[in-house]
Amino acid sequence: MTAHLDVTLALIAALPFIGAVFPGLMIRAGRDACAMSAGWATLSAFILLMTLAPAVWHGETYSFRINWMPMLGLNANFRLDGLGFLFATMILGIGMLIILYARFYLSRSDPMGQFYVYLMLFQGAMLGIVLSDNVLMMVVFWELTSLSSFLLIGYWKHTPDGRQGARMALAVTGMGGLALIAGMLLLGEAAGSYDLTDILQRREAIQASPLYLPMLILILLGAFTKSAQFPFHFWLPHAMAAPTPVSAYLHSATMVKAGLFLMARLWPVLSGTDAWFYIVSTTGLVTMVLGAAIAIFKDDLKALLAYSTVSHLGLITMLLGFGTTAAATAAGFHIINHTIFKAALFMTAGIVDHETHTRSIKRLGGLRHLMPITATLAIITAASMAGIPYFNGFLSKEMMLESAAHTTWDGNGLLVPVLATIGALLSAAYSFRYIGHVFLGPVRDDYPHKPHDPGFGLWAAPAFLSVLVLAIGIFPQAVVGSFLQIVADAITGQHLHMHPLKVWHGLTPALLMSAIATVGGLAVLLAFTPLDRLWESLPKPDAKRIFDRMVETSHDICGTIANHMHDGQLTRYVAIFATGTVAAGIIAFVTGDYLPGTRDMLPVDLIDVVGTILVIAATASIVVFHRSRLLVLVLIGINGLVVSLIFVRFSAPDLAMTQVTVEVVTLILLLLALHFLPKITPRETSWARRGRDGAIAIAAGLAVGGLAFALMTRDFSTISGYYWENAKPGGGGTNVVNVILVDFRGYDTFGEIIVLGIAALVIFALAEALMNGRASRRLANWEVTQRYSRDRHPLMMVVATRVMMPIVLMVGVYIFLRGHNQPGGGFIAGLVVAIALLMQYMASGFAWAQDRMKFAYHTFIGWGVMIAGLTGIGAWFVGRPFLTSAYGYVHIEPIEEFELATAMAFDLGVFLAVVGAVMLALYCLSRIARRTGETVNVTPMDFDPSHPTETTQENG
Amino acid sequence: MTSADLATILPEIFLAVYAMVALLVAVYTGKDRVASLLSWISAAVLIAVAIWISVSGDLTRVAFGGMFVDDGFARFAKVTVLFAAAIVLILSEGFFSRRGSLIFEYPILVVLSVIGMMMMISAGDVIALYMGLELQSLALYVVASIRRDSVRSTEAGLKYFILGALSSGLLLYGASLTYGYAGTTLFSGIYAAATDGHVGIGLLLGLTFMLAGMAFKVSAVPFHMWTPDVYEGAPTPVTAFFATAPKMAAMAMIARALYDAFGAAVADWQQILALLAVLSMYLGALAGIGQRDIKRLMAYSSITHMGFALMGLAAGTERGVQAMLIYMAIYVTMNIGTFAFILSMERDGQHVTRIDGLNMLSKREPVKAMAMLVLLFSLAGVPPLVGFFGKFAVLTAALDAGLVWLAVLGAIASVIAAFYYLRIVYYMYFGSDEGPAIDGSMSVVQVTVLVGAAALMVLGVVNLFGLDGMAASAAASLVN
Repeated sequence: MTAHLDVTLALIAALPFIGAVFPGLMIRAGRDACAMSAGWATLSAFILLMTLAPAVWHGETYSFRINWMPMLGLNANFRLDGLGFLFATMILGIGMLIILYARFYLSRSDPMGQFYVYLMLFQGAMLGIVLSDNVLMMVVFWELTSLSSFLLIGYWKHTPDGRQGARMALAVTGMGGLALIAGMLLLGEAAGSYDLTDILQRREAIQASPLYLPMLILILLGAFTKSAQFPFHFWLPHAMAAPTPVSAYLHSATMVKAGLFLMARLWPVLSGTDAWFYIVSTTGLVTMVLGAAIAIFKDDLKALLAYSTVSHLGLITMLLGFGTTAAATAAGFHIINHTIFKAALFMTAGIVDHETHTRSIKRLGGLRHLMPITATLAIITAASMAGIPYFNGFLSKEMMLESAAHTTWDGNGLLVPVLATIGALLSAAYSFRYIGHVFLGPVRDDYPHKPHDPGFGLWAAPAFLSVLVLAIGIFPQAVVGSFLQIVADAITGQHLHMHPLKVWHGLTPALLMSAIATVGGLAVLLAFTPLDRLWESLPKPDAKRIFDRMVETSHDICGTIANHMHDGQLTRYVAIFATGTVAAGIIAFVTGDYLPGTRDMLPVDLIDVVGTILVIAATASIVVFHRSRLLVLVLIGINGLVVSLIFVRFSAPDLAMTQVTVEVVTLILLLLALHFLPKITPRETSWARRGRDGAIAIAAGLAVGGLAFALMTRDFSTISGYYWENAKPGGGGTNVVNVILVDFRGYDTFGEIIVLGIAALVIFALAEALMNGRASRRLANWEVTQRYSRDRHPLMMVVATRVMMPIVLMVGVYIFLRGHNQPGGGFIAGLVVAIALLMQYMASGFAWAQDRMKFAYHTFIGWGVMIAGLTGIGAWFVGRPFLTSAYGYVHIEPIEEFELATAMAFDLGVFLAVVGAVMLALYCLSRIARRTGETVNVTPMDFDPSHPTETTQENG
Repeated sequence: MTSADLATILPEIFLAVYAMVALLVAVYTGKDRVASLLSWISAAVLIAVAIWISVSGDLTRVAFGGMFVDDGFARFAKVTVLFAAAIVLILSEGFFSRRGSLIFEYPILVVLSVIGMMMMISAGDVIALYMGLELQSLALYVVASIRRDSVRSTEAGLKYFILGALSSGLLLYGASLTYGYAGTTLFSGIYAAATDGHVGIGLLLGLTFMLAGMAFKVSAVPFHMWTPDVYEGAPTPVTAFFATAPKMAAMAMIARALYDAFGAAVADWQQILALLAVLSMYLGALAGIGQRDIKRLMAYSSITHMGFALMGLAAGTERGVQAMLIYMAIYVTMNIGTFAFILSMERDGQHVTRIDGLNMLSKREPVKAMAMLVLLFSLAGVPPLVGFFGKFAVLTAALDAGLVWLAVLGAIASVIAAFYYLRIVYYMYFGSDEGPAIDGSMSVVQVTVLVGAAALMVLGVVNLFGLDGMAASAAASLVN
């Protein structure tokens, strides 16, 4: 076999697509121009194809390669050999006939331009499949046929049947095609190439591959769905709602044969295994018999033909499944024959429909007298389908029966021949019924429309095909002998020695089976009425309803599960999130190489034990008593306190101070906020739910704890040494923590105080928003459920806080000043001062305290940020980067020499921002409180001892 | 801080300055009255920056000691993000203006989030990564609840915020573990710590938690839960935004973190990514089937698509990165086109998102229906539309890397996922005539975007507009 490089191949593949552009434009020039514009493209492609025929006849192959998307490993490779040539001829030849037929079939009201555009697209896609050398490109075209056929089937949008049909056709074939993609990827993987030319050479590698079985199943899924094999056969009859030219082209001649083409194409590499034999031949056999049986009793002309197509496709599939070269040859031959007679049959059925306005066999009969030409054509082609000698269908049916007679199925030598004969019998029966019940019999007087033969344009195409039927049937060897030779060679991938085709082979088992089939077929027709009644009474699964129910059920199940899983509950989402994280962590831990820690444990003394127990007990109690919010607040306080003690224990006084002050401030603010919230958390979940969440929480907690333990029991390099060494010389302070805050990481702190300020402002904005609208009305109608304490301004507390005030402020200043060298600093100082102020507000009432406050809290924050920022900018004036600190020593008599650092100004900014933020939050809470009619905060308990008679009214 | 460093991040600086100036100008001029103008200007600025970046040569530049990387990979992702954001911004302008609910903060927030995304894409350091991520996320939290008067919008924003904060925390936890073991936050330093092709258990845990945090951003299962609710609850233009630019950015961020920081230990993260990919593909495909709301459907659709993109990454090869980039670029284009259509779905002047409103659309609006058909088939990955090539690229990348099982599972998932796209097509072409159908017309912008995207899906079959080549060089600059 030699290969030619020829650009003609690409041109042939491209022509239908080019041709698809014109009908849409030409429709303005008239219907003839439109049809012709589609026709010339097909014709030119056909002529080009024929120029390649001589070489193909000599067993040579053509190929052409274009780099398509080389980066993706996709090439546009074309290839033409005998098999491709057969299909290309069929596609273009029948295509031309269909274009002619459709021109006369479609009525004036049908948008013809659109029809031809879709038809040409489809034709191009089909040609692409059979000419592709790259299996992936083949898949591309494969799916394009699904798409364009979908548009063609749905062409008659007004019939609800058409919609349903298109829906199912697309669902079944489209998904089959996607499965095919997977199969082809595996095939390419197993063969090491995506080029058919290479793949066809690697039979051993592919069949030995562990991927063989999944690959086979996926590829066959694609082929079976496309070729309407059982159990996917149901879509084809329902697709018959399409206009008849479409049915004739897609559903008999070309598209449904794409599956057969694929099996034939890959026959050399995939066939010959047990899996192939049992899957393919059994499917084919079942499809053949089942399709034929259903076809007999269909009263719709096109449904009868559709099921007969299913049956014949099954026959060819079965032949390919046998895996012998003789059977493969028979398959190739039957592909040719079936295309010819079935296309013609569809066209005649279309003519009958067109002329009588009905497709129901029950309403037809006797047409032989009214439309003799159509009747003649129909009888010739139906006889071929029945397998009558001297019609082409007979020859390939004989070959099929011959192959079937020699096939044993799981040790049983009788099963396949008997079933094949039954299939042939049923096939003869429906063919006879098509002839007998439509064209023979008496003329009726109740046709929906008075029929007569159509014009030449409509019957020219079936007539041409009928001539072919007879020509092949009578002179097989002369007409198709050599053609079949190259086709069979291409399918099997070897040069076969073929006996010349002839009608009579003498008395063979096949002839006997054929005779039984023909006689049996006649008998069935004679006994049709009682059989039909029997058939009607049988329970039959309605594939369409099953399909619809399956679709609906899966739709509902998926919807229910999905919406149950994603029901909008945040708790559920968090649970899934946490579970996923824990699982990921565990997987990582298990796959990693864990070594136990190397660091020694610190000695444990009594204080450690007590502290730990306190933390654990408090935390556990929070979980247990979480519904009582006040209690939880207290427990959180315990936790905070112990944490600050732990800081003390590990020599971090700075952190401990910060922790304690932060704890106090937040607890007070929380306590105030809690006033406006329910005191008890309602119980909203079931025990099971809480148990599940508890388990997740415990798992996550243990995981985090374990991780922390693992981390802390091993050595690590620390950067604290660097800070120790550089704190004094670089930042001028011995309190490393503070120097880090205001110097090393001054930027961070600067950002943090801004964040703190913004947070305070956001609290303010949110609280102000609460003052309007619904929330405000609710606050105004606040009902106090709890008893107030009788002494709302304890004298002791008022006095104590006022006395303490200056002292605390002093302490604040002290902490602030010593911060740079000793534990302390602006942050802690700010908190201390804030606590002092808070206490004033708590004890003496907000209004009283507010009256004495001279500055707005917003400005505190603003000043704080500004001072910190200006300090940083100051460094620029001495040519240093932003926030570089400087320090020096100042000596003012009589105070001892002390240190001043620019960092202190920065710290002042921090201080002001902290105070401002805390107080602003308090201010907001207080405003909310007064909205509820709270009066305790308005006026304080203030006695003026100098005017004993003039007492201020006490509030309660 | 040298001028070379600043020059490298000039596009980001420019955008940041623009955003702040725009904010101030808008506040002191017409506020919401200038919102329309501001949207168009912002879109123009985004496109200008995209063009600027795409013509800025093909060098790899590193700024701030490795914290910021500007290479071919970053440029590819950034250009995609910028174009996507610009187009979605223009679409949003039309949608909000029509309803009188366009506020001037919206375009500015979009621009801010885009800056965050650009940082994420270019981050060569854990801190820089986190900064970009948070800038993006904070803007997105606000954008998700931009319709403050709508309960659903605010609920969406709140959910997204809470779960987002959780995932950020997880990311930080992972980052601190990583830092603890690698001793540096620089990706190059982490790379060096992973010697002999494996990372220690500490780094592995760090990697896992970082990955979990980042997986949230691409809504990979099981960190996807926010997606359906947020997609459904947020205003549709915001959903369109969520489904496009941030996904590309987050995917690029994951890729860079994995290759630049953990590239020496492919085997360690390959399995995690493969698992995320499979879960995402299947959950998205199965859960999408029963949806009746098209925005919710698009949420599951994007989960599936992210699964496919992750499959490309899971390959752990240059080819895998290339496949991921191709996939994401195509995905973003398809989604923009689809959302242009969804934005136009109206009945009696009300925006509706129920799928059955599409019944028999082909009869009333043949062009729109046809464009949608193309996009939906492309989303389903049906050849010869461009969507197929994305799927093809990731599947072959997985096969190439020896992950045959992953590729097969992916192919099967694509079959299942095709179901719900086809279902919409049924409605449009073969639905029932009864029931509430959408009316309303499309604006010129929507038609242009919808038909344009559909045309790209068809015409791309010729050579993908050279996308594969660009993605290849971008991938080469990341995996070196």
